[in-house]
Amino acid sequence: MMSTPLLEIEDLCAGVSGKEIIKDFNLTINEGEIHAIMGPNGAGKSTLSYILCGKPGYEITSGTIKFRGKDLTAMSTEERAREGIFLIMQYPVEIPGVPVTSFLKHAVNAIRKHRGEPELDTMEFIKMVREEGRKLGIDAEMLKRPVNVGFSGGEKKRLETLQMAILKPQLAILDEADSGLDIDAMKVVSAGVNALRSENRSMLIITHFQRLLNYVVPDFVHIFADGHIVKSGDKSLAAELEEKGYAEFVKEK
Amino acid sequence: MAGLIQEAELFGSDMPRIEGLREKARASFWLPTAKTEAWKYTKLHALKADDFVVAPSKFLEEMEGEAEAEAEEEHCCCGCHHEHNEECSCGHCHGDGEEHECSCCGSKEHLAFAAYELHFENGKFVPIYPATPRGVEIMTLMEALVTGEENHLLGKYIDYAKYPFAALNTAYLEEGVFIRICKGVKLDKPLALINHTQNGGENLLVNLRNLIVLEDGAKAELIEYYRYSGETKSRYFNNIVNEIYLGAGAELNHCRYQNEAFKAVHIALSSVRIKSNGIYNGFCLQKGADLGRSETQVRLLEKDAKAEVNAAYIMNGWATLDTTTDIEHLSSETYSSQLIKGVVGGEAKGVFQGKIHIAPDAQKTEGRQLHKALLLSDNAEIDVKPELEIFADDVKCSHGAACGELDKEQLFYMRSRGIGEEEAKQILIDAYLTDVIARIPDLTLREWLQHEI
Ligand SMILES: Nc1ncnc2c1ncn2[C@@H]1O[C@H](COP(=O)(O)OP(=O)(O)OP(=O)(O)O)[C@@H](O)[C@H]1O
Ligand SMILES: [Mg+2]
Repeated sequence: MMSTPLLEIEDLCAGVSGKEIIKDFNLTINEGEIHAIMGPNGAGKSTLSYILCGKPGYEITSGTIKFRGKDLTAMSTEERAREGIFLIMQYPVEIPGVPVTSFLKHAVNAIRKHRGEPELDTMEFIKMVREEGRKLGIDAEMLKRPVNVGFSGGEKKRLETLQMAILKPQLAILDEADSGLDIDAMKVVSAGVNALRSENRSMLIITHFQRLLNYVVPDFVHIFADGHIVKSGDKSLAAELEEKGYAEFVKEK
Repeated sequence: MAGLIQEAELFGSDMPRIEGLREKARASFWLPTAKTEAWKYTKLHALKADDFVVAPSKFLEEMEGEAEAEAEEEHCCCGCHHEHNEECSCGHCHGDGEEHECSCCGSKEHLAFAAYELHFENGKFVPIYPATPRGVEIMTLMEALVTGEENHLLGKYIDYAKYPFAALNTAYLEEGVFIRICKGVKLDKPLALINHTQNGGENLLVNLRNLIVLEDGAKAELIEYYRYSGETKSRYFNNIVNEIYLGAGAELNHCRYQNEAFKAVHIALSSVRIKSNGIYNGFCLQKGADLGRSETQVRLLEKDAKAEVNAAYIMNGWATLDTTTDIEHLSSETYSSQLIKGVVGGEAKGVFQGKIHIAPDAQKTEGRQLHKALLLSDNAEIDVKPELEIFADDVKCSHGAACGELDKEQLFYMRSRGIGEEEAKQILIDAYLTDVIARIPDLTLREWLQHEI
């Protein structure tokens, strides 16, 4: 089987507020692959995910990022999302006054418009959102509430997963999608993630624990420290890490 | 500059009651300067840029038998041109008593919802009266003055030393309506005063005066809608005064929507007097005009009188929009609440001046005021002047002000879901104004204005 590269990051150096956080970072994710990134607090994992989404204020000093062969860095945040990049944020943002359903409708229609598809009928849309919500334990009452406002940590992550399920990205970046989840929620969220697995959809899973990776089994595991990948392996690396901690790997470089 | 007070031939110059009001006002008019405290944030340059003129009196024209020429003029109902013998197909203007959408003008001038509509074209009342229920009396102000129906209420409580533009308005007293909702009558649909300025309204100074009386236990909704179509750069000056009297237990929901041309001037005063158990619920959305001031003066006269004075303003470019309120608690156990929210972009300037006065024997009263603004650009400006004058000791009174910007994290979050930057901003602006819009009691009006944001 020929693998098609989806995301190609080469010699990336980048940072925020004049501070270099990502240093000589290299990673290629092919279509259909699941990569996990594990690394100590403050290593720059969230920074990497923001850079992939084009968050304002984050700057690339050198290196290249290609998405489906196209220069990703030339695209705005919304263009990247419309092209199929989605980030489950470590800290989802609260938006008072904007109900979940209408927020989702704006997002879905923006992406559909980009693809030249007609806007969704409101009734159909609401039905679909409720259906997807039910699978993730999000009830209709919650869908009426303002985005993330007053949501518990776990509820926020479920809502992120719901958005991902509805927007069906080609590259999903999960930044600690598992933090704050109880055991049942972990199963529900993992099932949501697994349901999205397909031949041409790829995922980059950032996590601190092997737990999530037991449910969503990655093809590759990378250890990220000091701004770049210090070691790569298969899923057994996660188990090894769990046992030994980071100290050994970080020393290796 | 010719000055705002000019020679004008008006109806009723031989009637002492009418001319007396005008004369006193003419003598009292003064133009605020940069040193005038009540106008220190809102500069009147826009008034000096042009010579405004008053249109000839329609009442006099009609009396002089010029009505014949009218068929060739713009059609009064919809502004469309009709040939001499061709009938307007809108059905509105032939007084057949039924409500139609105007088919000849795409119904643009009519509201999207059912209301008792009264139209003004370039400041002149269009004499078509909706079929209102019994106990609702509507007539032109001149008719009310001539017949004595207004009971000498007009101008009775307006202090020209404080409100110079009300003096200007009274100096040209002629256009406007008198509305009385009789004792206990509750209106099923809103009354709407729709003020439409279009080509031909260029450089006009329009003075509209409405006298609204709700007798004891009456209830109504009143919409004032100022809209514009035509040359986008037209300048004109709409100078509005509403005098509103609420009897015991009367309730008025008053909704003003100012969407004038972007070079226009709109200055308005609503002066409201409320008796025991009366409720005034005011909301004003200002969106248009180069210089806009919506001023509300409320007198809570008797026990259990309540007033809400809420407002929103949205602006860009170089506009100045001013919301000024003055609430006087003159009796014990009276209540007032104000939420004012603004969104200011470009080089625009938002002004809020809010005064709460609590008289010495107005114990156990409550007055609340909160102003919040969202600045969309570095050059946008906000000036806020809250003023509390409390002479009683057993009162609950508060005021607050906050000013912020669009949240960058929220914008990023939305954009990361594919929503374009402009759309994301608009969503956040809508969300920002949600709570103030929510204070409009009527769902239809709420949805209408939500849509207009
Ligand atoms: N805006 C900023 N200004 C300065 N330093 C920043 C900024 N944002 C992040 N950093 C720093 O960059 C480093 C990487 O942060 P990042 O959030 O990417 O870490 P992480 O790997 O996601 O950590 P965690 O596992 O705790 O989520 C940290 O030291 C952090 O303090
Ligand atoms: Mg992180």
